[in-house]
Amino acid sequence: MNAFDVWVSIVLLTMSTLITRSGFFLFGHAVKLPPRLQHALGYAPAAAMAAIVMPDLMTSGGAVDINWTNPKLLAGIGGGIFFMATRHLLGTIVAGMTLFTVLRLAL
Amino acid sequence: MNKETDAGDSRPDPGMESAAAKSKAQARRIEKEAFQEGWRASASTIPAVLAWGVVSGMAMVKSGMTIWQSLAMTLTVYAGSAQFAVLPLLAAHTPLIVIFLTAMIVNLRFVIFSAAVAPHFAHLPWYRRVWYGYFNGDISMGFFPQRFPAHTVHQPAGKLGFFEAVCYPGWFAWQIGAIVGILLASQIPESWNIGFAGTLALIAIMIPMIINRAALAGVVVSGAVAVAAINLPYRLGLLLAVVIGMAAAMLADKFIVKEKE
Repeated sequence: MNAFDVWVSIVLLTMSTLITRSGFFLFGHAVKLPPRLQHALGYAPAAAMAAIVMPDLMTSGGAVDINWTNPKLLAGIGGGIFFMATRHLLGTIVAGMTLFTVLRLAL
Repeated sequence: MNKETDAGDSRPDPGMESAAAKSKAQARRIEKEAFQEGWRASASTIPAVLAWGVVSGMAMVKSGMTIWQSLAMTLTVYAGSAQFAVLPLLAAHTPLIVIFLTAMIVNLRFVIFSAAVAPHFAHLPWYRRVWYGYFNGDISMGFFPQRFPAHTVHQPAGKLGFFEAVCYPGWFAWQIGAIVGILLASQIPESWNIGFAGTLALIAIMIPMIINRAALAGVVVSGAVAVAAINLPYRLGLLLAVVIGMAAAMLADKFIVKEKE
């Protein structure tokens, strides 16, 4: 990616932060989100996370790779289980990376 | 500044300068105590924010950005999950519009957050509302509404102090961590795949968002569509997956409500 596009992306991302975080602080009194839309928006971030995470875990080199020899898939599942058991964000990253490294070297 | 914060207080008699000064000092004391309360409530999150900042800094440099680009991104964007989401897209030469839309979707939860917090600061001038809005991320959302529920909207006392104590130390911790990560990244070999830490972080952020079976349906459908559509151009599979995932969650909600009736 060329440098110019990276700088434009940084500006766009900053705009996105401001629009989503400060938008309601600025215009909240003028806007009323319909409850149905608010409800639907509530599901968007989790869906977006899944849409980013799953391809990283389940594909490699543009091809689906759902196998017991795929270290990212196994480490991702392991990290997910670790988080559900402990609710600890940082521990999840450490445990997941450790598992990933062990699997990467072993498989 | 105190023009707004005094508006809700009982007004001292006109001409009584000392009474006005006393109430000003009292208002300042309330904000100071609220700041200490906010700090006590949120201080335990600082180590995690710091460490996660380190991960974000390393992930930026490892995705191919320069040190200056990474510094600019962390200091201005200040939205970890959006950054983690966009980094692989940047590396894959994705069109800017898809990058922007992806960031918007990942950031959508902030719209819900700010709809909850913004009314508490409606009495401030616009530039201060933009300023406080910028800091209203995941951490403030975890503490502020709990301390100041919706029915306290018209009682401004203590809110600014509490909010600042939750937000500002978190900002500094995140940025210090990110800068350390950016500077350390070049010492870490490529084969460690440190960027995978970003994916693990997203998993840990995603799981608490699965608040009911409808949200679970949304996540499963969105993930499956994203994997199936991996070879669509411009990473369009990502946006397609989110839209179909949201629709699946809404549909699931409908069935679950029917089931209960």
